[in-house]
Amino acid sequence: MKKVFGRLKQNKYLLAGVIMTGIAVLLALVSIFWTPYSTTAMSAAEKFDAPSFRHLFGTDNFGRDIFSRVMKGMGTTILISTLVVLLAGAAGILIGALTGYFGGIVDEIVMRITDAINGFPSILLALVVITLMGSGRQNLIISLAIVFTPSFVRIVRSEFIRLRDADYILRARLMGVGKLRILFVHILPNIFSTFWVSVMIGFNNAILAESGMSYLGIGVQPPDATLGMMLSDAQGYLTTAPWYALAPGLSIVWLVLGFSLLSEGIRRQA
Amino acid sequence: MIKIENLSVAFDGTEVVKKLSLTIADGEIVGVVGESGSGKSVTALTMMGLVSEEATITSGKIWYDDTLLLEAGKPRDKALYRSFQGSKMSMIFQEPMTSLNPTKRVGNQVEEMLKLHTTDLTAKQMKEKVLEAFLSVGLKDAERVYECYPHQLSGGMRQRVMIAMAIILHPGLVVADEPTTALDVSVQSQIIRLLRKINKEQKNSMLFITHDLNLAKRLCNRVVVMKDGNVVESGTVNEIFDHPKEEYTRKLIEAVPSREKKMQRFSMNVGDIQNANGQNMPLQRPDILEVKDLNVSYMDGSNSLFSSKKKKQVVTGATFTMKQGEILGLVGESGCGKTTLSKAILGMNKDVEGSIIHHSNQPQMIFQDPYSSLNPAKTIGWLLQEPLRAAGLRDKQFEMTKADREAAAFDMLHKVGLSDKYFYRKSSQLSGGQRQRISIAQALITRPGLVIADEPVSALDVTIQAQIMELMRKLQEEMKLSFLFISHDINVIYQMSDRIMVMKEGRIVEIGETQEIFDNPKEAYTKQLLAEV
Amino acid sequence: MKYILKKIATLIMTLFLVSVAAFVAFQIIPGDVVTSILGTEATEEREEQLREELGLNDPPVTRYINWVGDVVKGDLGESYRFSKNMNEMMPVKELIGDKLPVTLWLAAIAVVLIIVISIPLGVFWAKSKSKVLDAVMGVLTQTAMAIPSFFLGILVTYLFGIVFKWFTPGGYVSYQENFWGFMGYLFFPALSVAIPKIAMTARFLRNSMITEMKGDYVRTAYSKGCNDRRVMYLHVLRNAMMPVITFLGMIIAEIVAGSIVVEQVFGLPGIGRLLISSISTRDFPVVQILILYITFVVIFVYFLVDILYRVIDPRISNK
Repeated sequence: MKKVFGRLKQNKYLLAGVIMTGIAVLLALVSIFWTPYSTTAMSAAEKFDAPSFRHLFGTDNFGRDIFSRVMKGMGTTILISTLVVLLAGAAGILIGALTGYFGGIVDEIVMRITDAINGFPSILLALVVITLMGSGRQNLIISLAIVFTPSFVRIVRSEFIRLRDADYILRARLMGVGKLRILFVHILPNIFSTFWVSVMIGFNNAILAESGMSYLGIGVQPPDATLGMMLSDAQGYLTTAPWYALAPGLSIVWLVLGFSLLSEGIRRQA
Repeated sequence: MIKIENLSVAFDGTEVVKKLSLTIADGEIVGVVGESGSGKSVTALTMMGLVSEEATITSGKIWYDDTLLLEAGKPRDKALYRSFQGSKMSMIFQEPMTSLNPTKRVGNQVEEMLKLHTTDLTAKQMKEKVLEAFLSVGLKDAERVYECYPHQLSGGMRQRVMIAMAIILHPGLVVADEPTTALDVSVQSQIIRLLRKINKEQKNSMLFITHDLNLAKRLCNRVVVMKDGNVVESGTVNEIFDHPKEEYTRKLIEAVPSREKKMQRFSMNVGDIQNANGQNMPLQRPDILEVKDLNVSYMDGSNSLFSSKKKKQVVTGATFTMKQGEILGLVGESGCGKTTLSKAILGMNKDVEGSIIHHSNQPQMIFQDPYSSLNPAKTIGWLLQEPLRAAGLRDKQFEMTKADREAAAFDMLHKVGLSDKYFYRKSSQLSGGQRQRISIAQALITRPGLVIADEPVSALDVTIQAQIMELMRKLQEEMKLSFLFISHDINVIYQMSDRIMVMKEGRIVEIGETQEIFDNPKEAYTKQLLAEV
Repeated sequence: MKYILKKIATLIMTLFLVSVAAFVAFQIIPGDVVTSILGTEATEEREEQLREELGLNDPPVTRYINWVGDVVKGDLGESYRFSKNMNEMMPVKELIGDKLPVTLWLAAIAVVLIIVISIPLGVFWAKSKSKVLDAVMGVLTQTAMAIPSFFLGILVTYLFGIVFKWFTPGGYVSYQENFWGFMGYLFFPALSVAIPKIAMTARFLRNSMITEMKGDYVRTAYSKGCNDRRVMYLHVLRNAMMPVITFLGMIIAEIVAGSIVVEQVFGLPGIGRLLISSISTRDFPVVQILILYITFVVIFVYFLVDILYRVIDPRISNK
C-alpha cells in the first residue's frame, strides 16, 4: 500500500488519472442507488434553471436535474466502455497471442482483416455493424467490441512477435516447455505493461465512440440518460441554456482525460 | 598540448570522474583503459565539450595549448568550444551506424565540417577535399561513397567515413571512443592500422579509449588505467604491461585471454587415457554429436504476397563430430554461419539437409546477451525450476515434488557460485555476470549432455569474463558436459577449447586440436585470424 | 516503380475485399427491401415485378458482378428511398454528387490546419527549455486530445457563432454559389475536427524530436562544432518528421470520421448525414457506395503517405 502511494506521489500523471477516473467511477456507482433528483422527474416550473446549489449543473428543457442525469449518463458510458474493453481486450489477447506466436497463413489473413478494419473510421464501422444487428445497448456493446478488437490484436500480436524470438523464449522451448505454457505463462506476463496502456487507450476510444454514437442517436435509446444524447438535446438550446451542453460535454472530457492520464501514467511507470 | 587538471564530473551528485589529471603531448597516442563504468567515456566527452547538460563539473580545468577550455564553476563557453570542435579537436565514436545521420548522404556529412570551419572554399573544392579525405582513409570508391547513405555502407566503411570526417581539418587532437568495438576482428585491425598511419602522417595527438587492453597495447604510446572514476595507474605501454605496479592493473592484464599465458590453459580433460610416457592419448570417448553434410538455409524476403522468397544458404556441407566431455571451440567472424549452425543442431531451424545425430538428450543453449536470456517477469527460483517443471508436464516419469524441485534449484544456484538470497530475486536486480551464471545454471539443471554456448562471455567486462570462463570449465569437469563453445575471440577459444573448428562464409575451413591449429594453421584464413590479434 | 505497382495491386485488392464485405453484409441482414419500398399492402405480382426489376432474383454472385461492373462504369445504382420524380428512381450518383465535396473539403481543410499548426508548435515545444512552458503545453494538449470533436463543435458554435457572431450557426453556402464563402463556412467545423489532432500531432512530434535529440548522430553533429539551431533544423527535424508522417497517415481515417460527425453539429450537407439517414432507413445501395467511397479515400491517402515516406526516407527507398 505504501509503495502504491509512493508511486502516485512521484508520478503526477498517474495521480491525476487515478483521482479523475476515481471521482467519475464513484459518482457512477452512487448513481445506481441514489441521485440527488430523479433523472426522469420533469418540472415545468424549473425549466432551464442556471447552475445553483439546488441544481449543481442546472436543469434542462423539461426541468430535469442535469447533475443527476450526468451521474447516470457517466454510469452508462463507463459500464458500456468497460464491457467493450473487456470483450475486445480478451479477444485481442487470444487472437494476438496465437497469430503472433505461430504466424503463418492464418496470421496473414487475420492481419489483412485487422488492417482493413483499422484503416476504416471506427465510428462508421460501428454504425454499419449496428445497422446489421439492430440498435440497443447489447448490440452497441458487441459492435464496439468488434470494432476495437483489431487494435488490441495488433498490439498483442506485435508484442508476441517481438518476444517469440527473445533469447529466454528460445531457451524455454529448448527446455521442452509446452506451447500454451510458453504463450500464457512465459510471454504473457511480459506484455502486461504495454497491454495496460492499450487498455486505457481503449477505454478512451470506447468512451469517445459510445458518446459519439449516442450523440448521433444510434447508441443507447431513451429513456436511459447518456452523455452523448444529452449533448445532442442541449445543442438546440445553446443560446438559452449553454450550461446544458457544457455539463455532459465536460463530463465526457473529464472521463477521457482521466483515462488518458492513467495510460500516460502507466506508460511512464513501466 | 592537452592538460586536464584535477577534473571531477558528477551526475546527480555522484562523482563518476574523480580528481583526474591527464596530459597529452604533441603527436602522442594516449590510451585510456578501464571496464564499463570506469568514467573513461565521460572524461573524453567532457574534454570535447559534449557531456550532457545534467553533468556538473565539480572541480578542475581543461587546457588546449594555452587556451583554457573549461573551468569548474563556470558555465561551458559554447561559442569557444564550437571554434575548437571539429577544427582543432574531433571525435570518433563507437557505433558508426548510429553516429552518422541516417538520412543525409555521408559525403555531405563530411562536407559539413568544411562548411562550418572554412570560408574560402567553393562547393567544388569542398567536394574534392572530401573525396581526398575518403581516399586517405582507404575508401577507394570515393565518388560512390560520397553519394551513399550510412545504411548502404558496411560497418568498417562507416567507421572510415567517421575517421575521414574527424581528420579532414587536420585537428591537433583526435579522440577515439571505442572505435573498433562494434566491428569484426579483421576490420578492427585495419582501423587500428589506419589510426596509426594518420597519427604518423598528420602528427596529431590521439586519445584512444578502450576496454580492450590488447588494442591499447598495440596502438598507444602511453596508457592510463581507470577504475571507478579514478586513475589507477599511468605510464608507458611497457611500464604498464610489463611492470604493472598496481594490483588492479595486474588483475586486469591477467584476465585478458591470451596465448602468451600458457599456464592459464586449463588441464586437458580428466579421464583421458595416458600412455606410458604420460602423454595424452587421442580422445577415445563415445561421440555425442555427429553432423554430416549439413546444409542450412533460410528464406529471404518479407512475408508479402508479392515478393518472391529467395532461399539463402548459410551453412554449406558442415561435417564434424563431437566427443563426450569435450569442449569444441567454434570461431569465425560475424555472418559466417556460427549461430545458424548452432540453431540447426538444436533443431530450431527446419530448413536443413544432411544429418544431425544426437547421442544425448536435448542440448541446451547459453546466449551472449545476459540481459535478454532470462525472463524478466519471473524470479530466479522460478526460472531454475521451470526446466524441471516442464519435464514433469511433458512426461509423468520426470514429475518431481515442489520440495525436490526447490532443493535442486538451490543446489544449482550454489554450483554457479551464488548464495540463497538470489533465489527470490528477479533478473533485473542482477549484474551481467550474475545473470550469465543463472543462464548457465538454468541450462545445466536438467543435466543435458551437450550445451551450446554462443559467445557467452563477449558482452562481459574482462574480469567477469575470466570468472565465467573458469566457472564453465569447472562445471564441465564436474558434470561431464560437452560444450560447443562459439566465439569471435580467438584467444577466448584458445583458453576454453580442446579442439577448434574455424568457419568462414558458411563452411568449416579447418578443424583440429587446439594446440595443433595454433602452432601449424593449415588454411590461409586461419593464419589470417591468428595473425590479426 | 515496382514497389508502386505492388502497392496499387494491394490497394485494388483491399477495395475488392471491402466491396465484397459491403455486398455480403447487406445481403444477410434481416428485413425485405421490397416490403420496405412498397409497404405491406402491395400485391404479390407487384412485389415479384419489383424483385425482377431490382435484379433480386439473380444468384448472389451474378448480382455482385453486375453491381461492381456498374460501379466501375460509373453507374452507382439507384436509391431505394428517394425518387427523382413519379416515374424515375433517384440515382445514387446524383444523391451523392454535391454532398461528397463538402465532406472531402472539410477533411482536407482539417488536414491542412493540423499540419500548419502542429508542426511549428511541436518544434517550438521541443526546443523550449522552460519547465513551466513544458507543463502548460502538456496540460493543454492532454486536455485538447480529450475533447470529442462533436463537443468541440458545440463549443466553437457557442463561442464564435453565438458570442462573437463570426458566423451564423446552421448557415451554409454551397460551393457552386460562392467558393470562398463555402470555405468560410467549413473553417470552423474543420477547426473542431482539427484541434484534438493538432494536440496529438504536436505531442507526437515533440516526443519524436526529443528522442532524436538523444541520438548518437546528434552528438556527432555537436562534435563538429554545429550550434543548436543547425543541429535542430539540419539534423534532427527531418529524422523526427519520419514517424510523424506515418502518424498523420494513420489518423486520416479518424479525420474523415470526425468530419462526418462534425457535419451533424454544424448542419452541413455532407455525406455524413446521408450515410446516417440511409443506414436508419436501410437504403442499402446508398450505404454500399458510401462505404466504398470512404474506404477508397482513406486507403488512397495511405497509399500517398507511403509513397511520400519512401521519397523522403533514404533508408527505405534505396534498399
